[in-house]
Amino acid sequence: MIKALPTIAIFLAVLAPLHAGRASAAPISFNRDIRPVLSETCFKCHGPDGGARKAGLRLDLREGALAPLEPGVAAIVPGDRAASTLYQRVTAADPDDRMPPAETGHTLSPAQIAALGQWIDEGAPYQLHWAFLPPVKAAPPDVAQSAPAKNAIDRFILARQEAAGLVPSPEANPSALLRRVYLDLTGLPPAPDALADFLADTAGDAYERVVDQLLGSPQFGERWGRHWLDAARYADSNGYSIDGPRSIWPYRDYVVNAFNANKPFDQFVIEQMAGDLLPGSTVEQRVATGFHRNTMINEEGGVDKEEFRMEAVIDRVNTVGTVFLGLTLGCARCHDHKYDPIAAKEYFQLFAFLNNDEEVDLRVSSAEAEAGIARAETAIAEAKAQIVAYLAESAPQQVAWEEALTLPRIRSFTEPEQQALLIADEKRTEEQRKLVLERFKQDDETIQRLEAKIRRHAPRLEGVPKSMVLAPRTTPRESWFLEAGDYTRKSERVFPGVPAVLHDLPPDATGTRLDLARWLVAPENPLLARVTVNRFWQQLFGRGLVETENDFGSQGLPPSHPELLDWLATEFVDRGWDTKSILKSIVMSATYRQSSARREDLEHNDPNNVLLARQNRLRLDAEIIRDAALSVAGVLDKRLGGPPVYPPQPEGVTKLGQQQRDWNASVGGDRYRRGLYTALWRATPYYGLSVFDAPNAQETCTRRIRSNTPLQALTLLNDRSFVELAQAVARRLSTMPDPSPEARLHQAFQWCLARTPDAHETALLLELYEAQRRAFAQDAPETVQSVWGAAAQASPENAAWTMVARALLNLDEFVTRE
Amino acid sequence: MDLEQELNRQEAKALHAVTRRHFFRDCGVGLGAMALSSLMQRNAAASIAPQLSHIAPKAKSVIFLFMAGGPSQLELFDYKPVLQQYTNTPIPPAYLEGRRFAFMDSSFPVDKVKLLGTQRKFAQHGQCGAWVSECLPHTAGIVDDITIIKTIETEVPNHAPAKIFMNTGSAQFGRPSMGAWVSYGIGSEADDLPGFVVLQSGPRGPRGGAVNWASGFLPTTHQGVPFRSNGDPILNLSNPAGISALRQRDLIDTVNALNEHRLDVTGDPEIATRIAAYEMAYRMQTSAPELMDLSQETPGTLDLYGVKQGESSFAYNCLLARRLVERGVRFVQLYHTNWDHHGGSGETLTGDLDKVCLEVDQGGAALVRDLKQRGLLDETLVIWGGEFGRTPMGELRDTIGRNHHNDCATMWMAGGGVKAGCVFGETDELGFSPIEDKVHVHDLHATILHLLGIEHTKLTFRFKGRDFRLTDVAGNVVHKLLV
Repeated sequence: MIKALPTIAIFLAVLAPLHAGRASAAPISFNRDIRPVLSETCFKCHGPDGGARKAGLRLDLREGALAPLEPGVAAIVPGDRAASTLYQRVTAADPDDRMPPAETGHTLSPAQIAALGQWIDEGAPYQLHWAFLPPVKAAPPDVAQSAPAKNAIDRFILARQEAAGLVPSPEANPSALLRRVYLDLTGLPPAPDALADFLADTAGDAYERVVDQLLGSPQFGERWGRHWLDAARYADSNGYSIDGPRSIWPYRDYVVNAFNANKPFDQFVIEQMAGDLLPGSTVEQRVATGFHRNTMINEEGGVDKEEFRMEAVIDRVNTVGTVFLGLTLGCARCHDHKYDPIAAKEYFQLFAFLNNDEEVDLRVSSAEAEAGIARAETAIAEAKAQIVAYLAESAPQQVAWEEALTLPRIRSFTEPEQQALLIADEKRTEEQRKLVLERFKQDDETIQRLEAKIRRHAPRLEGVPKSMVLAPRTTPRESWFLEAGDYTRKSERVFPGVPAVLHDLPPDATGTRLDLARWLVAPENPLLARVTVNRFWQQLFGRGLVETENDFGSQGLPPSHPELLDWLATEFVDRGWDTKSILKSIVMSATYRQSSARREDLEHNDPNNVLLARQNRLRLDAEIIRDAALSVAGVLDKRLGGPPVYPPQPEGVTKLGQQQRDWNASVGGDRYRRGLYTALWRATPYYGLSVFDAPNAQETCTRRIRSNTPLQALTLLNDRSFVELAQAVARRLSTMPDPSPEARLHQAFQWCLARTPDAHETALLLELYEAQRRAFAQDAPETVQSVWGAAAQASPENAAWTMVARALLNLDEFVTRE
Repeated sequence: MDLEQELNRQEAKALHAVTRRHFFRDCGVGLGAMALSSLMQRNAAASIAPQLSHIAPKAKSVIFLFMAGGPSQLELFDYKPVLQQYTNTPIPPAYLEGRRFAFMDSSFPVDKVKLLGTQRKFAQHGQCGAWVSECLPHTAGIVDDITIIKTIETEVPNHAPAKIFMNTGSAQFGRPSMGAWVSYGIGSEADDLPGFVVLQSGPRGPRGGAVNWASGFLPTTHQGVPFRSNGDPILNLSNPAGISALRQRDLIDTVNALNEHRLDVTGDPEIATRIAAYEMAYRMQTSAPELMDLSQETPGTLDLYGVKQGESSFAYNCLLARRLVERGVRFVQLYHTNWDHHGGSGETLTGDLDKVCLEVDQGGAALVRDLKQRGLLDETLVIWGGEFGRTPMGELRDTIGRNHHNDCATMWMAGGGVKAGCVFGETDELGFSPIEDKVHVHDLHATILHLLGIEHTKLTFRFKGRDFRLTDVAGNVVHKLLV
């Protein structure tokens, strides 16, 4: 034991630089040093899952670990490693006795074994998993290098850097900073005059005024609403095989508006969970429950509808877990969670909150319009019912009608109709009967009168959007604990309830969705605020303080800066769940404003940039790449909201699903709307978005992948819509008063990258321009025209500028926020 | 010029190797050790011993002929004379216990349906004497080169969930498909084509669309890339109007030079990856059209497949599949619809089944023959089958058809280390269930990975705190199928 201690210290210093500041004699911390080891190697068989537990040993709870396995024998005897079976087994010489068993593929390192031993000797203290403990607001630490700190956030960051001997990077140059904050807050690059104003503004608060302006712009809601829509798995189609269309875009607009109005985040959560249950709920609040209607619908023939209704409820439970709690609740659908203290039964208690709803379509209309619309709807429903009733009794009329048909009249019908009429009624196929009936309906006065009535009232319903929402069910459903999560295997009744490891429901709770919503936003919830600010951080730095943003459980990674995470979480709540205010604090920090350039020293000392001694360069999100291109081409249509749009895309993309759909590209401004308005078909997503890693809305997505592929290169190089945008940039250039190539190049460069090119960049691009101009001068006029995109003003010069614009739109820097 | 191009290419490759290492170090998603080591090994010098490729791979590539809709094994491979005797009799109750059938509630009242023997003529073929029906004369001709598995079991009876089960090992959405797993695990040998290619034929696309070849939580680099048989095989492959290959090269040269300059300024290795991506994009612009150009194929080869010039078809896709694996593509998946023979209009067990059999039979058999005559069959695993089988009882629609059946289906495999001339597994005399050598989809996946040199329990990816696998928590390699 005396020998073991220094080994641990060295191990921790080398392999865990995050904790390098810790004195080597410091005691073991259960949450930092022990839980991750037990979770990874032991919990699967000796953890929360009662069904899979071996030898009756449970190690995730102290009483389990100390409980006698047989008289006088326990896995852990506090203070005595030698007497502890756990220690004996992890150090056993005989491979048959050694834990973890070889077939699990897990092994413990000598340092981990030593840490376990030291921990047992120190009394084997347990701690609740960090994420289940309430956040504690610590005072921002004092730092030696206080000069760079702009606010409290920086002091938390600097303290860790100082302990590791790092210094932060300088602030990014003004144009890079401006482009960064524009792209992060609004998803659009700064216009040249905004850049010029900023560069000329020497006042101390110039940056802050820009931040305030961006947070107040309508584009802010589009940018941050889109992040939320990923988590909400929003799409404009039903998914599965048929993937039929749906109308739920008012929910998308609700999200955008909520961010723009800076709706307090707790209110935002409540409305999406249970806006329909709020007293005197508004249309907007009911639309918000579309959050839970973004589940897929299986329209395939022969499915058991109950099975897929249950699948949707299960998806809702899992999504609540991931989005609001950062927990992998879904694991507990089929068995007790293997790592976190969530029992399968508790899973179905949560399920019971969400199992009592009607899935309905809500008309999204104003109160004034509603009365007239409702009248029209009633009239139509009545007429339809009358038609059904009439047809049920209309056999005599139909016989009379058939008998009265003349031969010339029959000849005027379609051939299938003629054939059907020649056969006796009882011998007609189903299809033939339908044909005859349709013909009859066209001739029958009663039907015609009723159909005219429907037509008369129909216009009032047209153009009134509907949105999919939840509504409470009058007679509650029974909820069951489903064995292995199988909807056919009900075992015992369950009632709404929350996991025991978390805080209690409010005392007056009766088990409604609204109760669950209030429980989520309760001040005692240790998770919601942490999980939310962590995602804000992730959007602004590329990685959360908790890197596993969807798993705050024991298999997730611990926070890199626990005190900062808690500070942000508590501030968020203290500031009344004010999203814009927290975002402002983060983007105002010196940490956010640093240069993203790589540094030799950091490559060695902090290669993953965990300590944030620089910013990260991040490839733009799918929508933002196109939005930025639309913007620099000067064609972006900034209208907010409305039904989905259909910008052009390569042919055939929507033919890849079972239903081979057409993609009729929008005309006019709708071709040039922001990417978040593009119709999202789950089975056949818009290519220009999916190729840049936009999620396909099959399930919640709380972090996008950023890939870097040849297919992306082909899209930026050759996709017609990007070529058209390059042509638009060239057209914009051609109207410039100063015709010199240098002036034009500088202008285009500034549009695209919000900075001035250096000498090398200027030379390379002018060389491209000259070479292309000379080459186009030798080309046929048609070639020049097709490159320039029009017959008018087609010249080698203009075609060459199109090539320069294409080069700019293909630069890594164009698709990156630095 | 050529030398310079080659130098550029080498340089891009070297950059690529560096940046892949960077990617795995920095990307922050816990990649499995296997994927890391194999990629390192492929891209850098072979200095790091592969840690987990401890199974000698038999197959280098996979061609999965996906018969979308669920072919009726009882009309094609699983010969059941007893079932024929009992046609029009009720299902013996013992066969119904604990079973779920699709459409049970509506068009399929389980107490009213009757057993249905096939109308098709079966005969034994080849040295191995495998039973194959008259529907598949060409396939009957290759039975000595394939293994017919009659006992494939899956877990779900509806198309979309069953398709993703067959492709991802789970009926839940969000999991990576088999091709994506393989690409992630062992990469691809093609450096001018994607490693996972999807081809389609038939009257409609497969249900669920892109979910079937998605990368799930794996990096999107590994998702299947659909190739089209008309127009550009890959979206956006052609240069824009008026732009010659030379102009495009000029443009890419400028873009890459500017990106290199930015790499110097920022030091971000992601830029080096982008430069490599543009180089590969440029190579794809040449290699993909070359791939699609069948002018170098002999008339004998075209006749073998039954390919008609300028006509897209399953047979054409089979020929493309051979050309893809020749070029080092790791995983090729062909979808052919429509196998959903319920008995309704357009889905009869008579004319409509004949039609789809005619569409696939010659091409699939030709692929096996062609690979064999070129010496490629040993290293190429060919798989034929759908998402589930069909019921032994009839389903009454406009005509009598068959319903979805997830307890047993027939698939065949050829090459890539699988036995030749073998019929594997046995079903009960009515064709309801496997009674011998059941092969669950997880077992099938484990076996496919094994043939590629991958231990299925070790190909993992951590997501939401759990190490996910293609085979979930199950799967056994079916050693009896292996050579």
